[in-house]
Amino acid sequence: MADDSQLATSLRRGTLEFCVLAMVETEDRYGNELVRRLGEEPSLAAGEGTIYPLLSRLRRSGWLESKWVESPSGPPRRYYGLTPGGRSALDHFRTEWVQFRQTVDRLVGTGEAA
Amino acid sequence: MKTQPNDVVAEYLREVDQRLAGIPVLQRRELLNDLAAHIAAEQAERNLASEGEIIEVLERLGSPEVVAAAAHEEAGTRFTPPPARSRNKTWLIAAIIAGAVVLVLFLCAFLAFTGRDSSVEGPAQPAVTADAPSPTT
Repeated sequence: MADDSQLATSLRRGTLEFCVLAMVETEDRYGNELVRRLGEEPSLAAGEGTIYPLLSRLRRSGWLESKWVESPSGPPRRYYGLTPGGRSALDHFRTEWVQFRQTVDRLVGTGEAA
Repeated sequence: MKTQPNDVVAEYLREVDQRLAGIPVLQRRELLNDLAAHIAAEQAERNLASEGEIIEVLERLGSPEVVAAAAHEEAGTRFTPPPARSRNKTWLIAAIIAGAVVLVLFLCAFLAFTGRDSSVEGPAQPAVTADAPSPTT
């Protein structure tokens, strides 16, 4: 069991941030929304609270920008959006990921042809 | 009744904060604000009132250990245990060192005694060397 979660953690590392970037690609979303969406994916679900340190790093590295917006139904919400830097990082990831996935599929035997 | 859920939230945030030592202060404050805003938004948008419902929100956030570990990983820092605990550790280390020193002193004293004894019993040594070749024959 410990090995299973270790594997999930390793796979998540380096990919989860691009899932987050893709989620705000077309429209800005606030923290709870992002966390809720990610929480629906079992393979990506660590504790929901672990998403906030990730959002902080993506903002500090200039890939995300955030702004606080008043909410009609509660406290102010912190909305996240993609910066131009974040957009090119996401584009770059998409290219890399397709190649990476094909290589792994070929070597591990998980591809369609296998 | 209404203060109870907030007590749980304050307790949770305090538990997280205690594990954030070593993380730059602004990032630390940002995370606590984000967590507090998350909880408040869940509370308001889903109309949560009971302590049980709030605890469920906190459980989905993850234990303070898990959240703080993620914060340290993203910040590139390590969790340093609170001072009270590290002081216990230094006492333990000091006790082990003191124990080792006493042991070494005893050993030295013991060796000094046996060393003096063997020099007194000089004739005993040739007998040992004379015995030594016998296994080869």
